[in-house]
Amino acid sequence: MNVEEDVLRELKEAFGGLILEHKTQKMRVYIRVPRDSYREVVKYLVITKGIYHLETITGMEVKDGIEIIAHLGTGLSISVRTTIGKENPKISSICDLIPGAEFYEREIHDLLGVVFESHPGLRRLVLADDWPEGVYPLRKSFESKHNAPLREGFD
Amino acid sequence: MSTFDIPIGPMHPALPEPLLLKLELEGETVVGVDFDVSYMHRGIEKLLEAKTYFQGLPLVERICGICNAAHGLCYTLNVEKLYDKEIPPRAQYLRLVVEELSRIHSHLLWLGIAAFEIGFNTMFMYTWRDREAVMDMLEAITGNRVTTEYSQIGGVRRDIPPNLADKLLKTMDIVEERTKYYVKVALSERTIAKRTQGVGYLSPEDAKATCAVGPVLRASGVKNDIRADDPYAAHADVPFNVITYDTCDVFARIVVRAQELFECVNMIRTAMKNLPQGPFRVKLPMKPNAGEALTRVEAPRGELFHYTLSEGALKPYRYKVRTPTLANLGALRSMLTSKGRYVVNIGDVPISYGSIDPCICCTARVHLFDLKKGKSWVWTLDELRERSKRGKLLP
Repeated sequence: MNVEEDVLRELKEAFGGLILEHKTQKMRVYIRVPRDSYREVVKYLVITKGIYHLETITGMEVKDGIEIIAHLGTGLSISVRTTIGKENPKISSICDLIPGAEFYEREIHDLLGVVFESHPGLRRLVLADDWPEGVYPLRKSFESKHNAPLREGFD
Repeated sequence: MSTFDIPIGPMHPALPEPLLLKLELEGETVVGVDFDVSYMHRGIEKLLEAKTYFQGLPLVERICGICNAAHGLCYTLNVEKLYDKEIPPRAQYLRLVVEELSRIHSHLLWLGIAAFEIGFNTMFMYTWRDREAVMDMLEAITGNRVTTEYSQIGGVRRDIPPNLADKLLKTMDIVEERTKYYVKVALSERTIAKRTQGVGYLSPEDAKATCAVGPVLRASGVKNDIRADDPYAAHADVPFNVITYDTCDVFARIVVRAQELFECVNMIRTAMKNLPQGPFRVKLPMKPNAGEALTRVEAPRGELFHYTLSEGALKPYRYKVRTPTLANLGALRSMLTSKGRYVVNIGDVPISYGSIDPCICCTARVHLFDLKKGKSWVWTLDELRERSKRGKLLP
């Protein structure tokens, strides 16, 4: 039994049927959970398992929605993924569990338009202030030929 | 006492990167801080979705000029995971050598910048002079001083011939001797101690909570290094010590980076001594298998994260990059926001900011303008190609 299988077995014992899909590679564990359990699984990993490090949160548009993947861990990396609807995408924030998630959630909010509920300050991070509202450059429908708006000074 | 706000940046003599710091001050004490890092968003993640895996490498190398070796290495290791093919061990060793060389040049550069920020210009000149020896070695090995593009999908671009290996080891002797001197200066020079001890304090708890990475985390006494925790390239075979220091201030970050230079030198020596024989590159097909890959590399600034999802096509479905500076922004805010626990003087802001070794350009990756004409547009690849053929890139 290697370390990835151990972690996966513990997760299965704790959450049972909520682990919809799982996959392991060397030093990597990927699991898929329902949207409503995403926060619970992260909470279990942070509080019960004592993982303090969040590598990042990846957001991407897939066929049936927007996928959010939280990558946790220092040596062994555990990726918790969930899919949310494309229209009005919302998910609960994990900033209160891991304060370091703040910037990653703001980046996804900028680029994909996902709203993280109860985030301490969901503002623009990487896009310019005068970037048009409701245009999300990482969506697959966004054309990269789209003229970038010009920033005029700062105030 | 009422507070007032001071904006610093995005272009400011004290900050070498396009970052806007909005400081909230009470007298001369910083009590709050907010950032704007959006001045250099280049859209690289989006661009990578439109490029084949092999075309993506030159772009990834340009995410960060200083950490380019780490970005290129992380990208190639990540893409190689999508193929079921063994990469020659010689290539893995050569990758390690160039990665550590680039860490030496980055840390020496940072030592110079840090010295400059505290007004110690002699040390700035010294470290940058010694960094030149390393830059010359990088040029001799890879063919380029800065953007090395050494690591390629399937191996490395070229081998290190024996005469160059001797020269490399001689350069390492010089670097080691000079580093000894810098460590002596850093530990005994009162100017450095007065300006850095107790400045930019980041407690281990805050460092962990804000998910800090690299030397910033290690200078807060947390033993964390991807090279040891999840070895990549030849790191499993080349032993080294993870350097930590427990004073949690700017001084600790200077000591950690300076001590890491010795580890880099020793790793290069070990790798060159045990360099396996054999090919240094294998040819891989244009299309990798479907699947996903996640790779972390210890860049000079900390843990670098690349993730890709492949559908088995020529181009990646999604390529995610998380650079170390983005991870350290939370830590920087923690350093600058005293909340009454300790005093952060406004004069300490530049060195505290400098101590995370910031690289804003690699944080905000996403666009392209002409401010003079007051308009913006995007050149297609064909237009760019056409212009480069005519030898005239600017209109």
